[in-house]
Formats: sequence, C-alpha cells, structure tokens
Amino acid sequence: MTHPAIRFGLPVLIVILLGWGVVTLDAQGPEGRPLALSLLLGAAFGAVLQRSRFCFYCNFRDLVEKREAGGVLAILVALAVGAIGYTAIFGAWLPTPAPERLPPTAHIGPVSLTLCIAAFAFGLGMAISGSCLSAHFYRLAEGSVISPFAILGALVGFGIGFLTWNPLFLAITSNAFIVWLPHQLGYAGGLLATLALLGGLAAAALWWSRPGAAEAPAPLTLREAAERVFRRRWPAVISGTLVGAISTLAYLRVAPLGVTAELGSLARTAGTQWQLIPASLFGLDGLRGCATVVKEALLSNNGLFVIGLIGASFVTALPAGQFRPRRLTGTDVARGLGGGLLLGWGAMTALGCTVGVLLSGIQAGSLSGWVFMAAMVAGIAAAWAAVRLARPGLRTA
Amino acid sequence: MNAFHKRLAALATAVAIAAVPAVALGQDGPLVTADWLNENLANPNVRIFEVSVDTGVYERGHIPGAVNLAWHTDLVDTVRRDIVSSDGLEAILQKAGVTEDTTVVLYGDNNNWFAAWGAWVFDIHGLHDVKLLDGGRKYWEAQGLPLDTATPEYAASDIDLPSEPAPLRARLADVLAVVEGGADVSLVDIRGPAEYNGEIFAPEGVQELSIRAGHIPGAVNFPWGGAVNEDGTFKSVDELKAAFAAIGIDGSKPIITYCRIGERSSHTWFVLSRILGYEVRNYDGSWTEYGNAVGVPIENPSGTVWGRI
Repeated sequence: MTHPAIRFGLPVLIVILLGWGVVTLDAQGPEGRPLALSLLLGAAFGAVLQRSRFCFYCNFRDLVEKREAGGVLAILVALAVGAIGYTAIFGAWLPTPAPERLPPTAHIGPVSLTLCIAAFAFGLGMAISGSCLSAHFYRLAEGSVISPFAILGALVGFGIGFLTWNPLFLAITSNAFIVWLPHQLGYAGGLLATLALLGGLAAAALWWSRPGAAEAPAPLTLREAAERVFRRRWPAVISGTLVGAISTLAYLRVAPLGVTAELGSLARTAGTQWQLIPASLFGLDGLRGCATVVKEALLSNNGLFVIGLIGASFVTALPAGQFRPRRLTGTDVARGLGGGLLLGWGAMTALGCTVGVLLSGIQAGSLSGWVFMAAMVAGIAAAWAAVRLARPGLRTA
Repeated sequence: MNAFHKRLAALATAVAIAAVPAVALGQDGPLVTADWLNENLANPNVRIFEVSVDTGVYERGHIPGAVNLAWHTDLVDTVRRDIVSSDGLEAILQKAGVTEDTTVVLYGDNNNWFAAWGAWVFDIHGLHDVKLLDGGRKYWEAQGLPLDTATPEYAASDIDLPSEPAPLRARLADVLAVVEGGADVSLVDIRGPAEYNGEIFAPEGVQELSIRAGHIPGAVNFPWGGAVNEDGTFKSVDELKAAFAAIGIDGSKPIITYCRIGERSSHTWFVLSRILGYEVRNYDGSWTEYGNAVGVPIENPSGTVWGRI
C-alpha cells in the first residue's frame, strides 16, 4: 500500500500544478487560451480513461477471453456519442457536405494498404506491450513497469516510421483515397450508417458475453457515492459518454483527439537535428491525421494534452490505491521496447493511433477509422495465434 | 409574417441603414476599427470575410456573420498559377450576398497577411473600396470581442464584376522593364533581410522553392512586419510615410512590391497603395518566379550558390 502522504498528498500537488498551468496559460491571451484548454481537456480525458479503464486492448481482450462486454461497450458508446457530436459541429461549419470540401482539421485520413499494414503492426504492438499508446500514458499512473519502455520504444518506432515513409509513400500511400461517409450519404445518412454499424457491433459483443450475476446495488449514501466515483471502475455507458463528449468538445475548440502528435514531433525534431531522417517527407504534411511537425515552440496543444492526461491519471489512480508497481523483469523491458517500437511505427505510418485514427476517424465519419479498427484487430488476433502456436497453453498477455 | 409586419420590418431596416452612414462616415478610408465593425455586425450593408492562413481557425470562432475564404482554393486558380478569375470571384461574392452597395471588410490572422492579399485580389476584380479590419483577428481577439462558430448563409446577390482587371498587378515583363529597360519604377522587396541579402533561399519552415538567392537588382528592402504595431494594427500614416521615405519610397514614382510568392507583399501593397495613396502594383510571381527565371539579372550580396556543399 502506498504511503498515505504520497497517496493523497501527491494528487493534491498535481492538481495544484495543473491548475497553475491552466491559469498561467489562460492569462497569456489568445495564444495561451487554446493551450490552457488543451491541458484541461487532457486532464479530463486522462481522468476518465483511468477511472473507467478505457484501454482498447484490455477491453477487447476482456471480451474475447473473459467474455466481458463492458469495456468494449464503453468504446462503442464513445464512438456513437462522438459521431453525434461531430455531425452537429459539421452542420454548423460546413452546412452541406459538398463533394470537394472536408470539414477543417477532422481526422478524415487516407485509406490505403499502408494504413492496413500500419494498423496491423499497431495491433501486434498492442498485444506484445499489453495496451495501446493512450493506455500506456494513463497506465504510467498505475505503476505499469512496461509502459515507460513502451513509450520509449514508440519514440524509436516513430523514427523508423519516418525512415520508411518516403518509399512507402511512393509505392502505396500516394494512391490512397479518402472516403468521408457524408460525401456519399449526407450528414444524416452518414451518421445513421455509423450508428447502425456500432449498434451491430454492440449487439454482437453482448451476444458473445457471459455476464455474471448482477450484485444488488448498495444504497446511495455519501460514502457509497465516493466509493463509486473514486475507487470503483466507472460504468461503461457513463465512461463512453464522457469520452464521446470530450472528443466533441476537443474538436469544437482545439483539434480532434489524438495522443501521438507530440510524441511524433519529438522524434521528428530529434531525427531531423541529428540528420537521421530525411528532411523532406513526401506528402506527409498535407495528409489528415495526427500531424507531426519539427518543433519550433516548446509548448504545443498536443503536448499539453498528453501532460494533462498523465497528470490527471495520477490524481485519480493514487487515491484509488491503483498505483501498484511490481518488480521489473527483463521480459517487461523487452515487451515494452519491442511492442512500443511497433506501436510507434504503426502510429507514425497510419498518421495516428487508436485515439487519433480509430476514435477521431470513426467519429468524423471517415472510412480510415474503420479500416484501422479491422486491421488492428487482425494484428491482435495474429499475435495471439502466434503465441498459441509457439507455447500451447500459455495465456496471451 | 403578414404584410403589415413586413412593411414594419422594411421600415426598421431602412431606418437602421439610414442611421448607419453617420457611423460609417468615420470609416471612409481603407481601414475599419474593431469598435466600428462590432457596432455594424447586424448592418446588412456590411459583409465581412475572413482570410486566414491557418486551417480551422475560422470554424472554431470567427467574427459573427463573417464568410470564410480559403486562400489556397477560393482565391486562386487551382490549376494554373494565377489568382481567381473574375467569374470565380463573382460566384463567391454572389453567394455571400455582396451587392454594389455593400461595404466589404476583410480580416485574417497573422496581422491581416492573407486578408491584404484578398483585398488586392478583390481590388483587381473591381471592388476598389474593400477595407481591412485594423489589427485583424489578433486585435479582435485581444479586445475580447465576440466570436461565432456558425457558418452564415446569405440570400444570393446578382453582382456583376467587370471582366477587365484593374492594373494592380505587375508581371515578370514589367519587372524586367525596370531592371533591364530602365523604366522609372521603385522596387520594394518586403522579405526578411536574410532572404533579401541572399543568405537563405527561403524563410525558416518554408520549402526552398527558388534555385537562386538574393533580390531583384535595384530593389530596396522593407520587411513587411515593419508596417504594423505590436497589437497588429497598422502604424499611423505619418509613421508609415516617414519609414518608407527613409528608404527612398515617397510616392513620387510608381512602385512594384514583391516577396516570395506574392502574398506578404500584398500587405505592403495595401499600405503603400490604399493607406498612403501611392501608385503601386504587386508582383505576385515574386521571387519564386524571378529567382527561377532563366537569364535574368540578380543581386546576391551573400554570394550563396545553390547546391554547393
């Protein structure tokens, strides 16, 4: 058990630091306000992820192995709520989805074989390292010994991604196409198609799941409410709704949700400075997704979003007693670095990860989000199959 | 709405319009103040356009009622290197409900950089009184004035633009007439000193698109940012006059402005032409054309050689 001074003192300290950051940035006028908002939205996102264990990989594994549908339902609800929110914003920003127009900055990315390969590699990386990048960020606060190595590996993976970008772009990505559902079906049709697909997946997940007997809920006293908010895992529908709402607000005010732009920018800046990666990356800066840029300013919206995410996860994980590091093993290091490498390479090549491409893409009505989801699941399944072949009887992760 | 209410509404509009010129009179020049614009947001005779460099800026909050213009698609020919055609701009203005009587105000981010370019394009196609919001987006935001996220839709107008462009544009031949032919025209290079001196081929973060560095022989250097205050507003007429006179630009002879691709120099075009009233043309081919043209004379004080390691 963590010492009470750390368990409750550290969160208070982090809350003060985050609050100070928001107030200071906000006072900087028009340039600082979006940064302050990014920090706040990141903190909200981190708190919700940690409290609800909104981990794409763990939730998918729970469904397949334990036949628990809750986590996957949370993801599907987040996609549905976000899709509704995005459509409402699109209607204001781009009243008609005219063929040659796309709503600004939405992650309506290119679909290509490159995307499939990248998402497949990302899925492998998830299975090897135990989660995707957004989950590694919040799992730092849960004392995960793999996560620091996975993030480090992802940085290197990004660098390799930049190295392989130009040949991949010339061979495949330059022929990529963009499919935005509202172009084909209109706003109402696009949203209905998205909701129907999500509803179908939810029904399939529930059909597969084998829920245990429900416990009778305890009477809602103040103590019980505190238990439910600060200790127990948040219910799927609530956490999904919150993630969907945060996605919508982030798109309305700053940019679509994504957690890899800053990581990629760090790798690109370092790689460019050390002249390890090509100075010119074909077409990259013209494509939609988690944009990586050579850094010119220390603070960026995405950097502050990730700082807020990690900070708030500590604030919620510590009092809940969920900061539980275990002894680090060589396998952890290898799995972290190896899986992280695949996560980084996949996220760079796919122009984002489970958050930037899957979540923000599907919410925006982009086919790229769905393709990422399918190829990622294939990658996870392939990793599981490989493990079963190599060591029969071993649990996957 | 019944006939009586319609008449009442028409009367109210007429009164509102009649009341406006008294305010608008103070805005006869090429600039409008943020306060004036804020008071005229509901004025049906004022149409605002945002021309910003950054994508998504307009959508996340713009001056209420403003129409968005994407500089890289709406205001250019997307195939040829050229500005939008008269017909193309006419369609945009009709959709935005602009008539011959509308006061058109442009504004944008980066100290009205691309808004000034828009003003130049509008002027070429016959909207000679187009105005800029002094201080642009930056000043409006700093004043805490309202922003809106809804995209407005207006009843289409039938404005008819002249097909003959106004002579506000210089071409390579016009510039060569100065450099080689001795035409009595001042050239103003508004890029940064390092670009002007040939130390670099393009500013930081921008692709090097010219294979020669330096400037057009005889051009004087006046970095465009020198025309604005810290808060984004233009400097006063007297300050601007003095600053340009100091480098020999006093309006006594015609002027050609240029930069790298012709957008930043529109800002200086606006200052010299619209604010100071000098005779100015903007050379939108700029350095990416001149610096790549074969056999033209160049001054490169730094002696940089393209491709030499």
